Amino acid sequence: MFETRNRGQRIALQILLTILVLPFLFPLIVMVQGSLQGQGWGNYRVVLDVPGLWRFFLNTVIITVGVVLLVYVVAMLAAYGFAKLRIRGKELFFWLLLGCLTLPEVVLLAPLFVTDLKLGLYNTYWAVVVPLAALQVPFAVLLVRNFLEGVPDELFEAIRVDGANAFGVFRFLIVPLTRPIASAVAIFTLVGAWNDYLMPLVFLQKQSMQTVTLVPQFFQGEFNDDQTKILASAVLTALPEIVAYLFLQRHFERGLTAGAIK
Amino acid sequence: MAKTSLIERDVLVDMPRSQGGRARLRRGRSDEPDVRALRLPSGFPWILPSLVLCVGLIYYCVGYTGYISTLSWDGLSPNPPSVGYHNYTTGILHDPVFWGALKHTAIFFVATFVAQTFLGLLFAVLLHAKVKLGVVYKVIIFVPVMLAPAIMAPVFREMFSPPGQFNEVLHHLGLGFLTQPWIGQSSTALAVVAAITIWEWTGVNFVLYYAAIGQIDRSMIDAARIDGAGNIRVIVSIVWPSVRGTTFALATLSVIGALKTFDVPYLVTNTGPNDATQFLGTYIYQMVVTLDHVGYAAALSIVLLVLSLILAIALQLRSRRGKLT
Repeated sequence: MFETRNRGQRIALQILLTILVLPFLFPLIVMVQGSLQGQGWGNYRVVLDVPGLWRFFLNTVIITVGVVLLVYVVAMLAAYGFAKLRIRGKELFFWLLLGCLTLPEVVLLAPLFVTDLKLGLYNTYWAVVVPLAALQVPFAVLLVRNFLEGVPDELFEAIRVDGANAFGVFRFLIVPLTRPIASAVAIFTLVGAWNDYLMPLVFLQKQSMQTVTLVPQFFQGEFNDDQTKILASAVLTALPEIVAYLFLQRHFERGLTAGAIK
Repeated sequence: MAKTSLIERDVLVDMPRSQGGRARLRRGRSDEPDVRALRLPSGFPWILPSLVLCVGLIYYCVGYTGYISTLSWDGLSPNPPSVGYHNYTTGILHDPVFWGALKHTAIFFVATFVAQTFLGLLFAVLLHAKVKLGVVYKVIIFVPVMLAPAIMAPVFREMFSPPGQFNEVLHHLGLGFLTQPWIGQSSTALAVVAAITIWEWTGVNFVLYYAAIGQIDRSMIDAARIDGAGNIRVIVSIVWPSVRGTTFALATLSVIGALKTFDVPYLVTNTGPNDATQFLGTYIYQMVVTLDHVGYAAALSIVLLVLSLILAIALQLRSRRGKLT
């Protein structure tokens, strides 16, 4: 794409890239540096000693796992139905689903709030898991359906001739076949659920139920705006995401590109 | 197989009857003689969970919001009075904060989309060249995408504060005259919100452009090179038109993203000063949670929803029309 004709140009390109990338690194440096001011690593010890810190992580993990599982199961079933089975008014249903793609989550606040109170779901994991999953499912269905439509019908006919019913097809063909796209779905669902702020903010008021995205606010109260501790807590909450990304880098990028290039 | 399929068909016609309009539409086509249809099992039970979860929950909420939007309701009183279209006509139309939020959203969209597209494409092109440590650059650009804006918010608040690191860097670069309270004044707060979003999302544009560029036919570029095209010419005449589909996908994502903006203005600038970084999402949130104007917030939500739908559909249509010509 971009041609460098000699050594000088190659070095110039390398320098240009490095300069361009610095602003992206800068906030991360500020974060780590700020967290080490004052008491140095002591900040981290203080933050880690706060009782209940692990609870934020546990809650986020529970919610994220719940959302990913729910989205995976529901989207797989639906994608199979949409791609390979006979449904009357199929496209109408599909468009009804896709209509949900543009929905800003803030629109759901008032009705969900009222409904959660009525059903006693307020301050439970369900209050966050179900709407988050509902918001993620349409995109997941879109991706997996596109993927499955690329699979030749003969494969499905063959396994049915061998005596498999629809469930057998799902279990022995769809699940193994969709593994690559499923990991993409799992990953963007995971990032979305892990990073979500608005839903836990509104629906999880009880502190023992809150998630990592609410940690900075918690520490603002806890440490009276002691920036070093707040930044240390930010580093601690960001760390799992950075580590996960470094390990799963290829999957993340494939997950993204699967969504938009199709 | 035919027998089960017939049974399922009965279920199929029965099921949506309670949902009114859809049943009619589906029954209309029920007598088509279709061999495949008889052999294939019905897929309706398979898509049912997704319909219950998404269409059920979301459309229920939207309908409910539509209903609330005709009320004057604080969210608590048991019998709120109905005010019809009042919330829309006398409320939103004459609400300077709403129009301000809309203006911010538009400015914010243009700024973030242009910057992210430019930077994303630039990084994608440069990293397709032979550079050392390419992976390191990719990781640095993409890591912000992974980090929750809510977690990074305290960092940015500190960074852009008057004694913060951003002003410090300006000093070191000899640009000391530019230092100012970036978050604390109306003239720059929106720019800070946009800059943070650009930092967060350029990685997405980069990864998508990187993949799209990888799919361009190399021979086309080689031919252009033989004809004497330089780097800039190749980017403008070949790369940019080739990634058009990706650009439209990203534009759609950016429009929806701009309309959904909440975390950054809420946490970093606290929608201020003087509503200078007020967005529709933050405004609706304030109306519901802190001011208890639930009816008005619902009307704002409906406007927001209609806006996102119209813009998303318009962009999709435009992107398709372009493909045909």
